Amino acid sequence: MLRINFWSGLAVTALATALLVWVIPTHGGGGFSFGLPPQLVATIGAWIMLISAVTLVMVSIAQKVRSREPLLQGVDLSGIWHQTWPFLYVLLFICLAIYLPLTWIAPLLIGGLLFILGERRWLVYLLCTLTPTAGLYILTVYLMRIGVV
Amino acid sequence: MPEFGALYNAFSTALGWESIAVILGGVLLGYVVGVIPGLNRAVAIAIAIPLTFYMSPYAAISFLIGLSKGTAAGSAVSAILLNTPGESSSAATCLDGYPMARDGRPRTALKIGLLASVIGDLLATLLLIAVAIPFAAVALKFGPYELAAILVFALVFIAGMAGGSFLKGMAAGGLGIILGTVGMDPETGAMRLTFGYIELMEGVPILPLVIGTLALSEMFVQLDEYRRNRGQKAINLSDNQQDDLSWPEFRKTLPTIFRGTAIGAFVGALPGLGPSVGSFMSYGAAKRAAKDPERFGKGDPRGIAASESADNAVIPASYIPLFGLGIPGSVSAALLVGAFMIHGITVGPLMLREQPEMLFSIFSGMLVASLIMLAVGWYGLRIFARITNIPSHIVIPIVIFLCLAGIQVQGYGTFGLLVVFGFSILGYFLKKFDYSFVTFLVAFIVTPMLELNLRQSIILSGSDPAILLDRPIAAFFVVLTLLLLLRFAWTGLKQRKKTVPNAD
Repeated sequence: MLRINFWSGLAVTALATALLVWVIPTHGGGGFSFGLPPQLVATIGAWIMLISAVTLVMVSIAQKVRSREPLLQGVDLSGIWHQTWPFLYVLLFICLAIYLPLTWIAPLLIGGLLFILGERRWLVYLLCTLTPTAGLYILTVYLMRIGVV
Repeated sequence: MPEFGALYNAFSTALGWESIAVILGGVLLGYVVGVIPGLNRAVAIAIAIPLTFYMSPYAAISFLIGLSKGTAAGSAVSAILLNTPGESSSAATCLDGYPMARDGRPRTALKIGLLASVIGDLLATLLLIAVAIPFAAVALKFGPYELAAILVFALVFIAGMAGGSFLKGMAAGGLGIILGTVGMDPETGAMRLTFGYIELMEGVPILPLVIGTLALSEMFVQLDEYRRNRGQKAINLSDNQQDDLSWPEFRKTLPTIFRGTAIGAFVGALPGLGPSVGSFMSYGAAKRAAKDPERFGKGDPRGIAASESADNAVIPASYIPLFGLGIPGSVSAALLVGAFMIHGITVGPLMLREQPEMLFSIFSGMLVASLIMLAVGWYGLRIFARITNIPSHIVIPIVIFLCLAGIQVQGYGTFGLLVVFGFSILGYFLKKFDYSFVTFLVAFIVTPMLELNLRQSIILSGSDPAILLDRPIAAFFVVLTLLLLLRFAWTGLKQRKKTVPNAD
């Protein structure tokens, strides 16, 4: 947990700094106001993030020094891959959904993931892919009348 | 006090066939979701919000409340039969529920869990009705100073109490505040953090945010965990005649149920604590109060009764700050705010003045939902026991599809899909690195209200903080917030000092 606190705190510190230095001043809006300037609440939020994250990093460093734990540890590439591929898989189908309706690609999305997760029974494929797809089709085409999405 | 006519109309609405059908649908769906390990209340509500878009506001909210109650009761089934809680709040139920089921008494364990859930839920709903209305009546007298101070206090309180590290909770809250300011500034008309996207003009759309951070991210977490937990088998319900709940056995659990309900209602009324804290506190209290505490953890019915009654009492009680002050105290309450927003209703004390019939109808619907929950759980025991055997590798792909379909059906298009994907990454990191999700979500939801009240306070007072001297309630909450900050910081430091020697 110490290592997680340290690295996540560092990431939040970087994000909060970027927000304070660039994002909020550039994109936070401007203009004259009687009450609250448009950027003020977002800036307060970013300062809360920054102060909390910096404190978290400092406390984690102090604890690590006391417990003599290393800050760096060997990266488990296989673990990272297991955590990353689902995101890439869904992103692929989101990209496909730009060009094709989700109803068309839904059987592939569900079936592909079932296959990756080890399912091999054709009846399960049939039920799991066709039922939700048919449900979406009936909902959008016949009930909502917005066409195939 | 509410008029008799308004109460009569509310109950007439709640007892109508359409209302009962909607609540029944919600409870049934909630039960199924609760029974399936890995799917939790937040995922269910996030996915179901798009389904409610075409319902009337009352039907939509009743459906979601029924769903929320159903998941809480259903999660006990997988905890008892599979030793895997459908919700983390049912983890305490596993301690005695699974040993009892393993000893050949699964039906008895399930019935105790169900009755404890229904009694806890029903009593806490009555408490909500009794407390929320006078609470809202007082809150209506508050001005912007008081409301701003209470909202800041609630955010700090939630960050500190929502579990995990206070610093992480504050950081998550900060991010929620920033995202809550996205969109057009109501005073100057300036675009804030929209990066030129017209879709963000009215703020970050709540539906992609909740579906991404709650549902889709949870599926990514489940996919990661699937590697480790595949191949679990549930205990089947047998036709053993000895395995049924008798009145003397149930009577023995009643004091535990009432105690658990009281603890759950107290925990639920405090924003941020959540049902897990309630169920474990109740379990601990039941064990301490027992003459034979050594029986706990070995299949004692009082263990199930304690955790389930508290778990289910937390949910209605967590709506007390929501309906009384407009502050969502839990993830499910925050999601309800989202559903209210979609239907154009501002939830909070104003409902009492502007839509009293709607408020009373929701309360009546909650009571009806408790009774439907009993009927569904009692007669559907065998079916729900079978559902626990649905493997997660079948559930996950379908839920991912439902997440994307929910966004497409609402017409958010490609932008919505990308937003949901972005928020799923954020949600994944919040969960993996233990940053308080509830603080993030509550901060995001209350920021527009906080900003409005802060703006009004600054304009009315001419930026003079001395105004607090004339507003004792606001001053009280400001002082309380500062004390809380000091307290949480001090507690955090003390805990860290304690943990370091262990690390050595």
